[in-house]
Amino acid sequence: MNKAKFVYVTYIRSTPEKVWDALINPEVTRQYWNHHNASDWKPGSAWEHQRFDAAKTADIAGKVIEVSAPKRLVISWASPNSLNDPAKTSRVTFDIERSDEDVRLTVTHDELEPESDMLRGISGGWPLVLSSLKTLLETGKAIDVTKHKR
Amino acid sequence: MARLTTESTIYITYIATTPEKCWEAITTAAFTKLYFFGHTVESDWKAGGDIIYRTPDGKVDVQGRILECDPPHFVRFTWRVDWIAELRHPPDSIVSYRIERAGDGVVRFTMTEEHPEPIDARLLEGGRSGWPLILSGLKSVLETGKMFKADPPSPPKAMQDYIKELQK
Repeated sequence: MNKAKFVYVTYIRSTPEKVWDALINPEVTRQYWNHHNASDWKPGSAWEHQRFDAAKTADIAGKVIEVSAPKRLVISWASPNSLNDPAKTSRVTFDIERSDEDVRLTVTHDELEPESDMLRGISGGWPLVLSSLKTLLETGKAIDVTKHKR
Repeated sequence: MARLTTESTIYITYIATTPEKCWEAITTAAFTKLYFFGHTVESDWKAGGDIIYRTPDGKVDVQGRILECDPPHFVRFTWRVDWIAELRHPPDSIVSYRIERAGDGVVRFTMTEEHPEPIDARLLEGGRSGWPLILSGLKSVLETGKMFKADPPSPPKAMQDYIKELQK
């Protein structure tokens, strides 16, 4: 079966270390992504994209596949109720490269089910989340992602 | 064998600004030179008029014609790359910028590069490597007020191969 892929590139006036921290530090993801990204970030470990409620409800979950700080992070990505369904599990690769005075962050979300709600959701979601991340790192204040239509 | 395509390239970014300021940033030379590799834009921003992007030394880099213009929300124009002689002949692309209010103090900016006539797929690589850099710069200039200095990326390998083929 053909799988779909979504790629987004953004240039951020920052350092690879700060961009890396912004991907794995729940206190930072909270500011621009409105969720905690929780894990010990070791290959094979679980990771969860959690709300702030008492139950820490996960909206997305998966496994950590590859960790090469501060350059490359690969994780699997699924709705918590499809965690054991390979057909509904996709993969996200974050590549962080220094580019002149900037950092080029490339997010490649592949192994996606074509025409799925997940594909539609992430296609609208990544531009907003990564715009918010760039704003946070460059100005110190993120875009409030909860208030904007996609 | 060359693969032909009519695929569009789309880039969306959210910017903490107003539609009016975002429009000013894409339509005035004083702004474009802060983020568009130092290029200046010239146009009267009316349908039927010309649009030109010039390099800092005054050479024409891109030229086209305005097809639709609805300030401060939408402009669509033909796009012909002029700086590489071999690229002046393929069918024109069409570029549009759409600015929508996406919430309080935030706009959603959408750049679409369309190819109504089939072109060699390798040509798409130029836009795919250039637009994220240009539009990351647009966002930074509007949000931080600082110039976003970046060198234009050299044409990607696939595009260079295509240009070499045309030169044979």
